[in-house]
Amino acid sequence: MNQAEIIAELQKIFDNVFLDPVVLTPEISAKDVPEWDSLTHISLMVSVEKTFGVRFRVGEVENASNIGEFADLILKRKQEP
Amino acid sequence: MDSAPLKKLLLNADPEFWSLLKTLTREARDFDELFLLSALRKKAHARQLPRPESLAGKIRLAILGGYSLYPLHEFIEHLAEVEGFPCEVWLGDYDNYIAEIMDDDSDLYTFQPQVVLLLPSENRCKYTGRLTDPRAMQQAEAQRTVESLLDLARRVNDKTRAEVIITNFMLPSRHDLGAFRSRTLGSDWAFRKWVNLELGLSAPPCLHICDLAFLAARHGGLMARDERSWFESKQPCSPALMVELAREAAHLIASLKRAQKKVLVLDLDNTLWGGVVADDGLDGIVLGDTSPRGEAFKAFQKYIHSLKQRGVLLAVCSKNDLAKAVEPFEKHPEMVLRMEDIVSFKANWEPKSENIRQMAPELNLGLDSFVFVDDNPAEIEIVRQFAPEVTTILLGPDPSGYVAQLQDCRLFEPRNITAEDAERTSQYRSEAERKALESSVTDMGSYLDSLQMESAITEFVPVDVPRISQLINKSNQFNLTTHRRSEAEVTAVMNAPDFVGFSVRLKDRFGDHGLISVVIGEIAGDTLKIDTWLMSCRVLKRQVEDEVLNELARLALLRGCSRIEGIYLPTPKNEMVRDFYSRMGFTLTAESETKREFELRLETFQPLPTKIKMIRRSYEPS
Repeated sequence: MNQAEIIAELQKIFDNVFLDPVVLTPEISAKDVPEWDSLTHISLMVSVEKTFGVRFRVGEVENASNIGEFADLILKRKQEP
Repeated sequence: MDSAPLKKLLLNADPEFWSLLKTLTREARDFDELFLLSALRKKAHARQLPRPESLAGKIRLAILGGYSLYPLHEFIEHLAEVEGFPCEVWLGDYDNYIAEIMDDDSDLYTFQPQVVLLLPSENRCKYTGRLTDPRAMQQAEAQRTVESLLDLARRVNDKTRAEVIITNFMLPSRHDLGAFRSRTLGSDWAFRKWVNLELGLSAPPCLHICDLAFLAARHGGLMARDERSWFESKQPCSPALMVELAREAAHLIASLKRAQKKVLVLDLDNTLWGGVVADDGLDGIVLGDTSPRGEAFKAFQKYIHSLKQRGVLLAVCSKNDLAKAVEPFEKHPEMVLRMEDIVSFKANWEPKSENIRQMAPELNLGLDSFVFVDDNPAEIEIVRQFAPEVTTILLGPDPSGYVAQLQDCRLFEPRNITAEDAERTSQYRSEAERKALESSVTDMGSYLDSLQMESAITEFVPVDVPRISQLINKSNQFNLTTHRRSEAEVTAVMNAPDFVGFSVRLKDRFGDHGLISVVIGEIAGDTLKIDTWLMSCRVLKRQVEDEVLNELARLALLRGCSRIEGIYLPTPKNEMVRDFYSRMGFTLTAESETKREFELRLETFQPLPTKIKMIRRSYEPS
């Protein structure tokens, strides 16, 4: 999978979690999405980990500053044995 | 979970949304599913989607504790509302609960809660000294922990009259300390267990325990925690357990308001026994210890009987001829439930919904007090449609799961203790003291007396044949001759005029042992020859043997015999009964390697006194 494919998968998860449609781009971040608060964030992460079969390490998701970096992080964790 | 149909209903502003929301919410097990459902519910509110049923007034619920209560509160709010108990929620700050409760001017008290859910911090539930400190010291600290929690709860209740729900403490699930964890109250494992136990046992009536320790154990210790979510956002537990915790909290909140269920209405065929009694006959239904499936049905009946003892009324609703339906209750030896256990017995061909509707005025109860159990989806559907107030339980395909289904249905849970219960406790205590005094007599006779044994001796009857044959082919130790017989051969004995055959059942105050002894005798002139005498070793030394001999002597005399002959045929396994006949007063008349022969003269025989109350004897009209 590459970054674009990851973002396409993420789009499905976001469509499920958010009621108002959000079009994901690599540059978009939580600040740009009114519904993306700390509450929805926890749920989003549970969904993402479930969908991609990955587990993030403590604190690393908040270091990703936008969707592009987040997709890269998913890729990195997916490539782990 | 497919959320698309629900979203579509929302977009179309279709009020059907609410009932689908309820169904999906009840089924949801995953954090993200429940979260999504809650989000859709809020969206529906924002769009003012009309609701078919009006909701009760909102419960003012305060949630506070040593954790981030976000998104737990979201789930609780969602689950409570979907079950018909919407809440207005006030949230405490992270780990600020002690100040919020102690400060008379805090926002908590301004909010005037009706229900307070308190999640105390587990970091404050640990022993602060050394693992090897004296037990009294450790226990004193555990007691102080309990007292401080009870103080907080009492204080909230005094100030607000709110019902207080408190979560207890999850136990550790790591190997830390090894087996030593159970040997000191200084370990988190033992300390928290002690605190949990003491907290529950000392809680006043206004305090309800949300048993997080139980939920975590049920869910699985390792999956109950998620350290990362603690470090990142101070969550009380793993996302998966949070769903269970929220469900439990919502359940407790609802049970503060909701009336209890009072009646359990039972189907018969394939619910209380296997098979169809009208087709298979009394002897053909599957019930009892002869087969695994029969055991499962019997276990289900036992559990239902325990519900009756807790105060649940039992009723029967079956599509059947009344006479056929009643027969097992009156005549089947393995039935646990009897006619006197059933408050209303409906066996006819009317729809079950109608039958249950008729029960309500008979018992002077509302239909919403009824729970209906059936293995047939069609019957469940009829009741759902035509008596929707009744709660229904569709039994699964495997009777071994029936008990668990009822145990997990959450409809017959005892509520918190009342003053009346407390009074009963003190009455009980004096009773218990009296009993303890009585049972301090330690000789065998008074022990047997205290067992309150009851026994029934029955001539061979068709319904017992499978169990009799099973015992005949299985018993090795207490078995004088080890003559094996198939079911057909047992039936042949049953019908042979020159044979007597009987079986013995025993129960005591600890339970029913079932059919435990089998005897076959052959009448030959003036002699009753014991062909088979066997007994389950579980009931050794209970005087069952004595009653069997009494019965043999009685039958022998009735049949005009003056002596009884017994033989012992040794096998590698029946050494224990080698001298049995001597012990029972028989005289040894011949002995070889392969056989020992005994006789008992009946002229001088006196029935042996026992502590067993005989309910019936064989070959007598019952």
